[in-house]
Amino acid sequence: MAENLQEKADEILDKAQLASAEFHQYNQEQTDRIVEAVFKAGFNNRVKLAKMAREETGMGVWEHKVIKNVLATQLVYESIKNEKTVGVISYDARTGITEIAQPLGAILAVIPVTNPTSTTMFKILICLKSRNPIIISAHRGAAKSCQETVRICYEAALEAGAPEDCIQMISSGSREFTQLIMAHPKVALILATGGTGLVKAAYSSGNPAIGVGPGNVPVFIDESADIPFAVKNIITSKTFDNGTICASEQAIVVMHTIEQKVIEEFKKQDCYFLTPEEIKKVEKIAIVEESMSMSPAVVGQPVSVIAEKAGITVPEGTKILMAKLDGIGKSYPLSVEVLAPILAFYAAGDYHNAVNMCVDLNYLGGIGHSACIYANDEKRIMEYAELLNAGRILVNTPTSQGAVGYFYNHLPPSFTLGCGTGGKNITTENITAKNLINIQRVCRRKPNDLWFSHDHAKYLDESLNFEEIIHDYYKNH
Amino acid sequence: MVTFNYNPDDKVLTATFSGRLDTLAVQRVSEVIQVKLPVKDGISEDKIVFDLQDVDFISSSFIRICVSVAKQAGPGQFSIAHCQPFIKKTFKISGLDDILNVT
Repeated sequence: MAENLQEKADEILDKAQLASAEFHQYNQEQTDRIVEAVFKAGFNNRVKLAKMAREETGMGVWEHKVIKNVLATQLVYESIKNEKTVGVISYDARTGITEIAQPLGAILAVIPVTNPTSTTMFKILICLKSRNPIIISAHRGAAKSCQETVRICYEAALEAGAPEDCIQMISSGSREFTQLIMAHPKVALILATGGTGLVKAAYSSGNPAIGVGPGNVPVFIDESADIPFAVKNIITSKTFDNGTICASEQAIVVMHTIEQKVIEEFKKQDCYFLTPEEIKKVEKIAIVEESMSMSPAVVGQPVSVIAEKAGITVPEGTKILMAKLDGIGKSYPLSVEVLAPILAFYAAGDYHNAVNMCVDLNYLGGIGHSACIYANDEKRIMEYAELLNAGRILVNTPTSQGAVGYFYNHLPPSFTLGCGTGGKNITTENITAKNLINIQRVCRRKPNDLWFSHDHAKYLDESLNFEEIIHDYYKNH
Repeated sequence: MVTFNYNPDDKVLTATFSGRLDTLAVQRVSEVIQVKLPVKDGISEDKIVFDLQDVDFISSSFIRICVSVAKQAGPGQFSIAHCQPFIKKTFKISGLDDILNVT
């Protein structure tokens, strides 16, 4: 069995390596023609693939998945189409440095169940743009819709002249096989989007990886904020695809001074505050007690389904279940990330306590991901931004749509959001095609006069200290 | 696209390719190659050399043909000669330059 799996892995990677060898010979024009063809094919199938993903996973809202597919195709294409990713990409006359883009090689792309077709199309486009063959490893719960996405994109790519096997998919859903592929010496990079375990496996594989793990996005509504505007935006974001985006809001933090106003506004806009008894019931079905992680049973489900599972009755048309909590951590299960329309709610005595709560939430499983502030006080916005450990600090913006870029800001549109070293990632950027190239620098001789006019023998003289040497170093001779 | 030259003294069959060896071109030449190969019972008494001096692009299907011919010819009987640096690099990236004896 193990040998069969190894042979299967070798076969996939051998094909990818051949595709890589052919792909590196393509020029920018040939590459762009392929990317355009794949974007069009994916875009033209946005509705079909969204419906397939919804039906197969049972998560989210198909209309919202259409928007995700649009982001992954039209908007990603817009953002990368004019990027130079082949050959000389820049020259700086002052430094004399020329930058040359080279492809990485075979990229293993791990796809989450929450955004399957959109993440697949996004990763395919950025890999093709950077001339890297891609191997899709889909979550077993979304294998069919990912397979169809791969088929559509691959056929379009081949039609446009792409190398054979430039897009492949791992059909086996076993964890053992995925790990075997991850550790395969012919994999150039793992582009992992998923849960903590998966991202850790990617980083432990021995191959380079860009892994993006969970968030636990705190939202601070400051006294200076426009409260109805803030609440409206939070609802827009948290209900988008029933909260499946890892950048969606997880907890609202306010000061006592505006607590009642904010609660009333949430109620006015069809959100329901759970009683302490109801919170206990929702905790039981939303959080797996042993691991303190969200239960797949509620991920991407609407309020009506969650309420039914929990055995509680909520007003018809309720958009979000609000849980007013007294603390953060293990004793308060709903303080962790839940990708469903459930929000924790906190009130603090003063500004500093409120920000401290946001920091605690940020460090409870979401380090490096995203955070949000609603405020019209620039000083507080900047103070908050410096205190939170988040790759994206979104200001007066719905976090689901804000963090993925394009809609509300000028971040590159992406379904792979870097979380920095806090999230065990190498970058805090929104990953895009430029992250998938090796940049070679041609460094022309531009001697530094200061260095060559300095008497280097002085470094060997132990009696000379820092001031004497540095003074001499910067002296005009 | 491909011409053959046999040197009976050295017992070397040289296939000289030219131009762009994309998938379509490879489909056209693959049958010719098979017919011309001096392989019997999986062993070639002659050495086979693919000369790529005038080749400026090779597809993955061409590399597959090289692997197939190298296997048919047997150990030490196949080589690829006169690659332009860009093509040499392509074989390097494929990871097959040693097996194919690329020079």
